[in-house]
Amino acid sequence: MAVTCLGVRELLPELAIGVLAPAERDEVERHLRWCAGCRKEASELGQAAATFAFALAPVPVPNGLGEKIVERVRHVAGRPGTPRRARTTAASIVAAMVAVASLGWAAAMAGRAERFEDRANRAEQQGAEALETFVRAIQNVVPPGQDLPEEQFHLGPLAPTAEGQGGGGAVLQLVSPNFLDFSMVIVNGLGPQAANNLPYRVQLLNAAGQVLRAGRITELDADGGAEVFHQFANKDLSGYSTVQVLDADGVVVLTGGIERNPSGP
Amino acid sequence: MEGLLAGNEDAVRQLYARYARPIFTLGLRLLGSAEAAEELTQDVFLAAWRKAARFDPARGRLSTWLMTIAHNLAVDRLRRDTGVTKPHLVLVDEVPETLSADEDEPLMERDAAIRALESLSDAEKRLLARAYFGGLTAREIAQDDGIPLGTVKTRLRTALIKVRRANEDKEWP
Repeated sequence: MAVTCLGVRELLPELAIGVLAPAERDEVERHLRWCAGCRKEASELGQAAATFAFALAPVPVPNGLGEKIVERVRHVAGRPGTPRRARTTAASIVAAMVAVASLGWAAAMAGRAERFEDRANRAEQQGAEALETFVRAIQNVVPPGQDLPEEQFHLGPLAPTAEGQGGGGAVLQLVSPNFLDFSMVIVNGLGPQAANNLPYRVQLLNAAGQVLRAGRITELDADGGAEVFHQFANKDLSGYSTVQVLDADGVVVLTGGIERNPSGP
Repeated sequence: MEGLLAGNEDAVRQLYARYARPIFTLGLRLLGSAEAAEELTQDVFLAAWRKAARFDPARGRLSTWLMTIAHNLAVDRLRRDTGVTKPHLVLVDEVPETLSADEDEPLMERDAAIRALESLSDAEKRLLARAYFGGLTAREIAQDDGIPLGTVKTRLRTALIKVRRANEDKEWP
């Protein structure tokens, strides 16, 4: 489908109401990532649609539901007994990384990519840039010696495979004895055909070949980029140092490994 | 939102106290059982925690953001369970005309919402309700009513814009 502002705006009412077909919804949401005008209209129509929900005569919520929710959030945010300040720090790191990655990095890399003719150089540069982004984010949020030791963070670049569509990326893992382990993968610069191969999935492998699913990419931004954050409630990520990004057909398009942590050389 | 992002229990409780009831109500109306609505409410707050870093107040109100998460999760669940989008509810009765006398603490959002919906004709209310609560696409409505797809899309858009304009002067959080 040709995605123009005119075409998108025709679909915004159904997007706001929540009845747009998934394929069209993905197209529209990709457009909204970079089109401020359509995004504003989508926001306003979404607000109008939500009016219907608020107009319903409220019914009482079951007793104890609030505590269940608090417990679930507590469980996901950090293991029982984890100091709140540390949980806050961990969440802030993720927030900072997501913010940096989504606000600045993709745009910066889109301009940079034009200056590189060679795909391998471009991928290497993208990976290095992502690594620097992670490192800066962590260093800004967690000074050395605080609650989250830097050695618990592990970083590595992702490079394109021969079967892939180019691009690059990076992976950040937290492997900690005190906090829920997580992985965050940033990809960027996937080729123009990459959107046809959605959804992508991210998986982690250990030396024994065991595989952990670490999230899915259901949409790409205008620069062929996306980020995936996955927290593991009951899994230790120790040893899961190989990262693969696979397309919808199961073809590995990006691969890489954990190489060093932010405090490394 | 910073408190929610940090897993701060007080922040979660504050959000829950303010928004659990309309979220649970929406879940009950869309999914049809208290059990499913309870699961949905839990999922909404967990999703809000996970997505908190991406909430941008410049792009919309917190209440709208939460309700959009709730509605999308509910519709996704319906589609997953049934394989297709199916109408689940009827319809204009779901849009109350007045506040009931036994609501001891009516939400400010509900009061404003009811007033905003007064800007719509009955036909417009029915149309939006068929889509929002019934899960009908514009194409399905067009087929059911035997009218052109473009006409349905135009009417949906017109109705939403009316509500948007009626909302403009309201002071929602």
